[in-house]
Amino acid sequence: MNAVRNRKLLVLLGPVVALLMFAAAVKMASGLLSREFKEPYRASSATAAQTPPAAGLTEEASAAAQKAKPYEEAEYRRFPVVGSRVAIWMVAQLHLLFAAFVLAVPIFALIVEAIGYKTGDLRYDRLAHEFAKLLSVSFSLTATFGAFLTFMLIILYPKFTNYLMSVFSPTFLPYILLFFAEAFFLYTYTYGWGKFHPLVHLGLGLGLNVVGTAIMFIANAWLTFMMSPRGISDAGAVISVSEAINNFTWMPINVHRVIANVAFGGSVAAAYAAFKFLQATSDEERAHYDWMGYIGNFVAISAFLPLPFAGYWLAKEIYAYSQTLGLTMMGGAFSWLFIIQAVLIGNLFLAANYYLWLGMGRVEGAQPIQKVIKYLLITIVLCFMVWATPRSIIATVSEVRAMRGSAHPVLGFLGVMSAKNTAVNILILTTFMSFLLYRRTGKIATVAWAKTGHTAQLVIFAAVAVFVIFLGVYGYFVEATVRIGLSVPQVLSVLLAMVAITAIDIFLFRGASKTGEVRWGRIPAISQYVLIFIAVTFTWLMGLMGYVRSGLRQHWHVYGVIRDTSSDAFTPTLGFATNIVSVTVLVFFLLIGVVFWIASLHDRPDFNRGKSL
Amino acid sequence: MRVPLILRIGALVVATTGFYAYVGQMVPQKEVQPPKETAMGSDMTTADMVKVGREIMDGKGLCVTCHTIGKTGALRFPDLGGIGSLAKNRVPGLSDVEYLAQSMYEPTAFVVPGFPPAMPPVNGPPIGLTDQEILSVIAALQTLGGTPTVTMKTTHRYYDGTAAPSGAPAPAAAPAPNAQPEEAQPLAAPKKGTLLRPDDEPGAGSAGALAKAEARQGAGGVAR
Repeated sequence: MNAVRNRKLLVLLGPVVALLMFAAAVKMASGLLSREFKEPYRASSATAAQTPPAAGLTEEASAAAQKAKPYEEAEYRRFPVVGSRVAIWMVAQLHLLFAAFVLAVPIFALIVEAIGYKTGDLRYDRLAHEFAKLLSVSFSLTATFGAFLTFMLIILYPKFTNYLMSVFSPTFLPYILLFFAEAFFLYTYTYGWGKFHPLVHLGLGLGLNVVGTAIMFIANAWLTFMMSPRGISDAGAVISVSEAINNFTWMPINVHRVIANVAFGGSVAAAYAAFKFLQATSDEERAHYDWMGYIGNFVAISAFLPLPFAGYWLAKEIYAYSQTLGLTMMGGAFSWLFIIQAVLIGNLFLAANYYLWLGMGRVEGAQPIQKVIKYLLITIVLCFMVWATPRSIIATVSEVRAMRGSAHPVLGFLGVMSAKNTAVNILILTTFMSFLLYRRTGKIATVAWAKTGHTAQLVIFAAVAVFVIFLGVYGYFVEATVRIGLSVPQVLSVLLAMVAITAIDIFLFRGASKTGEVRWGRIPAISQYVLIFIAVTFTWLMGLMGYVRSGLRQHWHVYGVIRDTSSDAFTPTLGFATNIVSVTVLVFFLLIGVVFWIASLHDRPDFNRGKSL
Repeated sequence: MRVPLILRIGALVVATTGFYAYVGQMVPQKEVQPPKETAMGSDMTTADMVKVGREIMDGKGLCVTCHTIGKTGALRFPDLGGIGSLAKNRVPGLSDVEYLAQSMYEPTAFVVPGFPPAMPPVNGPPIGLTDQEILSVIAALQTLGGTPTVTMKTTHRYYDGTAAPSGAPAPAAAPAPNAQPEEAQPLAAPKKGTLLRPDDEPGAGSAGALAKAEARQGAGGVAR
């Protein structure tokens, strides 16, 4: 009772004290203004200049001025050893990786916390708190790399940076203010865990997410403008800032990044859980971190499944802006990059499915479902192989002659988009089924229409798979303009199947009986290494796709407007690019290791001073 | 001896990144240099112009990024094979030189049926060919199924031979940030998401990135 009364008193006193302080400040300011200004006594400049020290200083200053080179505005400056482009590339990538993590973790921390609040299950609250503990150090590193990047841009590319600033200066104040708000929400959300009413805390988490997303949207405007400039004249003069922001690729990048960030953040959080699982010494700890890893991976893969569709939209807008830019991406200097991407995404699908299948072992009564795993595995491997098949093959002259071209007479048919689109869609559908099977392990549907429900799900899955394959084959017999359009029904049918099957599944397994419990922690250790592998692959994929997005401009700082005339204007080989991506990823994981270590300090026992002394 | 956990994880991270870096070395390696400025002289012969024109088509002009020469089948953009003779009768009232000039300065004025109006004006950014360079490209195009007739003195409706080059290259450095907006002409970019895609193009507004690559003609990689 007393505490409530004291709090009420404080609430009442607060405004009174604030008013008093304001009045005092006004009084002080008006007092100072009313005083007469008096020039302080100084010796005349002529007298001062005649003293020996002053004369010596004047001489030194004039000698230094004669020696100094006149100021010239630099267009570019060179970063030592690695060059300016590589330096900017690595710093920007590290900034983006940490930013992605800082934006993603609050999204699922909030969701997990909300589930915990709704269900009353304290495990969720603990899990969300554990995620949130990773935030503060990551936030500092993101800001540090952001500042580093800004300084690097100003120093190494002053003229170009000056131009971007002239276009986007109206966005800077909102950006800074949002950054302050982000810091407020982030620290109150992290350090205020358990200190507020749960709804207030959820509100803080919501604020953190909204503000963080807004910050990303502003930064996205700057970088997408470089790729698809709008709202400016031929000479680059600003006509409309709003159009410069809302350029062709801005919204697709926004959406793509939100989804990709969630996938990336989930994978890194799962890797953290894997690390803690492997470190764990008790069954209880193992159970908790196994569960945390599962949730992190679930979030990552759930976000990863719709990501290709967001990628389609982004690519569509790139083509809409400039066919030349689009063809450079998919058919020019960067075409082989998408083979590397296929290897990465194929590995992600394989690893994610492998983890789920390993996870089925922790559920009692999962044996019937495990039987179908081998068929899913075969499908995934086949799809992966088709996707990674290049249209043209690196071959010797005699081999090229034997094949009558650079395309293999048989495998070449798998290198075209009809085959690849089909493979990707079946891959997504199969992984989705894998998820679904995991979800129903250890459960038996008890609703009256259970058999009909199962049949409906199977029919939808089979019908969509046949439809996707049919369109893929049909694509070989029609003109390009028709063939390109076939990817739309393929994508839509897969999305529709995913939504419909999930909807049926939710109702089908309501009140389901259990064949056994989920034994968290009872999973082979290799599954945890798979989670770490997924996180590294996600990070590498982000680095690679960041490169293609930025490198696509080739010898332009702002595509078609400001040309890159520096020594780094050329587009490097893919081998060089992948080396840079690899080094950046290694640095990131080194730093994320530091983040994990700092986050773990909180749970360590206090230093025992008496013991050491 | 049991390897410490941190080393095992470190080894996994290094091995994974190393593997992907290795995959990166296994694909064709090509360093793409910025297009070189073409040396143009007023005393160039038609044969010189043809040679320079082909160089521009392969490099700065980016023509072969989209167009093929001498290919048939399901193409995404018109094949340039035989354009030297086709251009003479393609648009009634326009000579081959006038038609070819129009197709570069004002590419959407006439679009070959069955193809999308996706070509940008080549005298503007990002290609930014000069009038003289465009004349050379016309000379090179005339050789594809015809005989080159243009000289450095040839004029057409977009170039009267005396005016300053309208296709000034894009600025090499940052333009004046304080340029007056009222003096500026809007960038020759289309209305968002519409102009470059024809209404009747099936892939318009929907096809994915991978599908778009169908247009590419044998430059390796994932598409044809």
